[in-house]
Amino acid sequence: MTLIKKSSLAAMALAISAIGTGVAQAACGNVTIAEMNWASAQAAARVDAFILKHGYGCDAQTVPGDTMPTATSMSEKASPDIAPELWMNNVTEPIERAVAQNRLVIVGNVLEDPGTNAGEGWWVPRYMVEKNPELTTIAGIKKNVGLFKDPEDPSKGRVVGCPSGWACQITTENLFKAYDMESAGFNLVDPGSGAALAGAIFKAYNRGEGVLAYYWAPTALLSKLDMVRVDLGTFDAKEFTDCTGIANCPNPKPNSFPVPEIKTVVATDFAQRSPEAMAYLKARVWQAKDFGAVLEFMEEEQANGEVAAEWFLQNRPDAWTQWVPADVATKVKAAL
Amino acid sequence: MLWSSDFPQIADTTLRQLSRTIDRGYLTFSREYGASIEAFFDPLLHFLIWFERILLGAPWWSVVLVTAAIGYLAARSWKLFAGIVIALCLIGVFGMWENTMRTMAMILVCTLMSILIGIPIGIFMARSNRGQRAILPVLDVMQTMPSFVYLIPVVMLLGIGRVPGLIAVVIYAIAPVIRLTNLGIRLVEKEALEAADAFGASRLQKLIKVQLPLALPNIMAGINQTIMMALAMVVIASMIGVRGLGQPVLQAVTNQYFALGLFNGTAVVILAIIFDRVTQGFGLRLQKHREGAPQ
Repeated sequence: MTLIKKSSLAAMALAISAIGTGVAQAACGNVTIAEMNWASAQAAARVDAFILKHGYGCDAQTVPGDTMPTATSMSEKASPDIAPELWMNNVTEPIERAVAQNRLVIVGNVLEDPGTNAGEGWWVPRYMVEKNPELTTIAGIKKNVGLFKDPEDPSKGRVVGCPSGWACQITTENLFKAYDMESAGFNLVDPGSGAALAGAIFKAYNRGEGVLAYYWAPTALLSKLDMVRVDLGTFDAKEFTDCTGIANCPNPKPNSFPVPEIKTVVATDFAQRSPEAMAYLKARVWQAKDFGAVLEFMEEEQANGEVAAEWFLQNRPDAWTQWVPADVATKVKAAL
Repeated sequence: MLWSSDFPQIADTTLRQLSRTIDRGYLTFSREYGASIEAFFDPLLHFLIWFERILLGAPWWSVVLVTAAIGYLAARSWKLFAGIVIALCLIGVFGMWENTMRTMAMILVCTLMSILIGIPIGIFMARSNRGQRAILPVLDVMQTMPSFVYLIPVVMLLGIGRVPGLIAVVIYAIAPVIRLTNLGIRLVEKEALEAADAFGASRLQKLIKVQLPLALPNIMAGINQTIMMALAMVVIASMIGVRGLGQPVLQAVTNQYFALGLFNGTAVVILAIIFDRVTQGFGLRLQKHREGAPQ
């Protein structure tokens, strides 16, 4: 002991502890994050990637994905490691099976209070509701068929439904039948594609015309246009699984769209590998207004997820600094 | 910089500002002129709806018989008559009658419009070298620009439905008839034109009695291609809400139902063949003057 000076001993101790923390960070290693092909999912994925990379030293990469393929791939192969915005309603079965087999972990909500801030529904423009407040109810809409004229069949009203092949087409058709819209003089129109659906809503809103259409939040269209969701009553889960969600159900009863479950799901491997990253993902719950701001930015600037993520991290520090410890926040800010 | 593999491009922010200016400009244009443009297309929309109602409302056997009769009158062939009856009945048996009638109405009007607009443009191009130089690039754009690029602005202007669908189909399908009319007229032998001049024909008489008849094989080929391309656009039209055979095909694609796609696709093929044989038969009879000519 006398041969080694106390200061050098202290220096060695410091060095060893530094290596220790370095090893702990490098344990995060390779992380794949699913970047799904809609705006909010892209922004969420890129924000996670940036923070994990620059704040936690992970080798974070985004991989393209979509709800069904990513859910299958994660439940079968536990890859990619993180799905930041997984809409659970259509994939509950495979995911819960994987959780039971300890291959996946459901971390929590990605959006605060998804019941209010997200979800599918039938929407009308706010300028219509301002003139005619009863349009927030189905009964009011049925009474005012004339406000929703179908340009190709002016004697009838029009409900712009879901495009072919979307799961919501089944729900919308059943709800259309259940609320007896046809006898009230409405046509259910299939717009053909998501782009045409958005275009039709946009066109009507731009001209101040009346439109009743299916749409879902959070989306750029709904943060840009001021629309109000029609009150379809309380959601009956049993009726949904028995009838409303099943194609060609003979006798659908009035129901609503399901309350969305949008969760962050991670592979158990990754959860065990990197507890700090897990702590971040648990703390990371987006506020509705921040989500909306990012979506609007993406729409205005035609930005992709990466650019939007950087904009968010630069311009909304009070939002994300709450999700990470102070030292991580400094590292992320330095990297911007 | 010279050894960098990244192309020196305009700054991202400038690109985005440019995109935004274009988008905003289009939105203002759409807001100001949208209603009047919609009103301009209204008569066409009413015609489309009326024609579709007729085909849908008429009893199926009358539609089959009338179509087969038109086929016979055009081609004077009993084989074609029988073929049309069998093909249309098969379509009905497999439950695709209504969709086929909708597509038939839509495509008939689209083809008619393409021919009515395309042939005069082709004639104009044949007469004028400058016209040809100006119009050919436009045709190139119309045929290769991805449909959704001009479809979504059209939807934002006119909404979803038949008129944007018609615009999409005509833009894509009109090019062959224009090109081949132009080619056919230009390929008419100079000697024939000189002979017509020698007989004192006026320009209009030369066009109608000499140039068009001699250019007919090419023009008919152009019409055939226009019909094929119009039917090929059926699925794209269904992506902006046009009802008909395109929608089940689209459903089949998104849900991976192979059989549904196959059946409806075959119905589209059958329609195409019927249209084609009828027009070709008519065209061949118009070219009776070629019979006896050395082949």
